[in-house]
Amino acid sequence: MALIQLKNVNKVFPTGKAEIQALKPTNFTGEAGELIAIIGPSGSGKSTFLTIAGGLQTPTNGEVIINGKDITELKEKQRAKIRLEEIGFVLQSSNLVPFLSVQQQMKLLDQVKKNNLSPEKREQVYLSLGIQELMTSFPSELSGGQRQRVAIAKALYTDPSIILADEPTASLDSERAFEVMEMLRKVTTDNKKTTIVVTHDTRLIDYCDKVYRITDGTLHQEMASLTS
Amino acid sequence: MFLAWNEMKNNKLRFMLIVGVLTLVSYLVFFLSGLANGLESLNKEAVLKWDADGIILTEESDVNLPQSSLKLDDYDGHGTDEYAVLGQMNAIATSGELKSNVSIFGIKNDEFIMPDVIEGEAFTDTGEVIADDSLKEEGFEIGDELELSATDETLIITGFTEDAKFNAAPVLYGSLETLEQLRMNSTVNGFVIRTDNLDDVPVSEKLQVIPTQTFIENMPGYSEQSLTLAFMIYFLFIISAVILAIFLYVLTIQKISIFGVMKAQGISSGYLAKSVVAQTFLLALAGVIIGLALTITTGFFLPAAVPVAFNALDLFIYGIVLVLVSVLGALFSVQTIVKIDPLKAIGG
Ligand SMILES: Nc1ncnc2c1ncn2[C@@H]1O[C@H](COP(=O)(O)OP(=O)(O)OP(=O)(O)O)[C@@H](O)[C@H]1O
Ligand SMILES: [Mg+2]
Repeated sequence: MALIQLKNVNKVFPTGKAEIQALKPTNFTGEAGELIAIIGPSGSGKSTFLTIAGGLQTPTNGEVIINGKDITELKEKQRAKIRLEEIGFVLQSSNLVPFLSVQQQMKLLDQVKKNNLSPEKREQVYLSLGIQELMTSFPSELSGGQRQRVAIAKALYTDPSIILADEPTASLDSERAFEVMEMLRKVTTDNKKTTIVVTHDTRLIDYCDKVYRITDGTLHQEMASLTS
Repeated sequence: MFLAWNEMKNNKLRFMLIVGVLTLVSYLVFFLSGLANGLESLNKEAVLKWDADGIILTEESDVNLPQSSLKLDDYDGHGTDEYAVLGQMNAIATSGELKSNVSIFGIKNDEFIMPDVIEGEAFTDTGEVIADDSLKEEGFEIGDELELSATDETLIITGFTEDAKFNAAPVLYGSLETLEQLRMNSTVNGFVIRTDNLDDVPVSEKLQVIPTQTFIENMPGYSEQSLTLAFMIYFLFIISAVILAIFLYVLTIQKISIFGVMKAQGISSGYLAKSVVAQTFLLALAGVIIGLALTITTGFFLPAAVPVAFNALDLFIYGIVLVLVSVLGALFSVQTIVKIDPLKAIGG
């Protein structure tokens, strides 16, 4: 089942005289259970692709369909609801609220959404991310890597059907990075989610079902998986 | 509330500063309202004590009691339930070292404006008066002989009554004869009346019926004073709204990226806006309550000479207005939150 579909989506930024084609017309499908990597050089359009897919910005043309629902024409308020219900973001920069402890970050999500992870599943996520000891800490007391792991836990907490991660492992050592990928792999398969990971780190591609490369706003699928 | 509360808990100093400022503003508002109240009662205490509906004065007096000159038979009680004759003059009373501005009321002791005597005896003979007890606090005593400015006659204090100030001067109540002797004529100044319908009181053309409230408002300086203080209070409302609006706006601006990240995650603008409003409400409430506590504490330690009288209803209303006005200040930030673009906030 296709959880996410982009049909003929492009994004043009009108800057002064010249327009920037951040994303050229693109078709993309993410199936349930698929872990997908997006690679490409800086400025190639990876974040643009991910934020359009996640309903954070609207495409210039084309349609974005999430869980069978066309979100392209929705108002920001409704898109926010879709993001909350369907999508877990792991952002390039930390997405933690500085004045809430790790535990409170999660509680905040309980305030705004029902049917979040069950207590057992939560514990599992905390354990595999190695943050169960950090629950009472505040973001300022965490290392960059710890913050990133908490951010991932936060994205998983709402049990979204789609996980969009922009460089989730950038500030982790390789051992942690592999662990995080293993966990993303596991939740994606076990819970039939679609996970899209933007990364520079080609070693992480081994965990993915599909790899796409963006160059100058054009999306190509690479040879199945690079290793298998 | 969760977000609002935890933010305040984890940024105590910052929010305590805001509460501190609001406390001072509300303290000032409460204190001014007490002062307004106190000053007003200095003017009208004796009038309120009459518990009357109106007063008959001459048309040419321009609602000014001393300027209204009447004869006893100018009015005979037609159309009213009760009426009382009133003569009034101002003087400076001296007894030995003591000196005080006084307002002398000439009345009939069997009419309703006759006050209760709380100490000593009522006046009986000409030249005897009962005095407002503020004179007692100044040191005057029963049996004191008072010399008056503008006349050689003297008065003797036979007793005290309470809450009797007229135009900020303590009142001396005596008989009409006493006043006549002081003024050397037999005119009076007004007829104080009790009736359900002031419009139905038939008076001759040169007289007018003035409702008690209008009479009070026309006392020299009364309206000016009330307006000035009311204006200061209203201005403080605006100041507190602006201060809070600025504080919250700065805090909101600082948090734009945090709000943006939360919005990216799908937390609605409505939730974030509610959080800011709830926060403002709590801050304002805390400020007002502490301000009120300070006001009440100060009230206990104020010397009697300071004309401050707190009125529970006024304090309550002003407190509520302060909270409302502060929340209004927060709406400024709400607008900013709604406009935040989550995409800009997350970068990347
Ligand atoms: N809001 C915008 N206005 C104008 N141009 C933009 C805007 N956002 C992105 N671009 C341009 O679109 C192109 C793609 O940007 P994007 O952020 O998607 O790159 P990226 O692949 O994520 O790069 P990085 O790896 O550095 O994060 C860039 O040339 C960028 O300058
Ligand atoms: Mg990027």
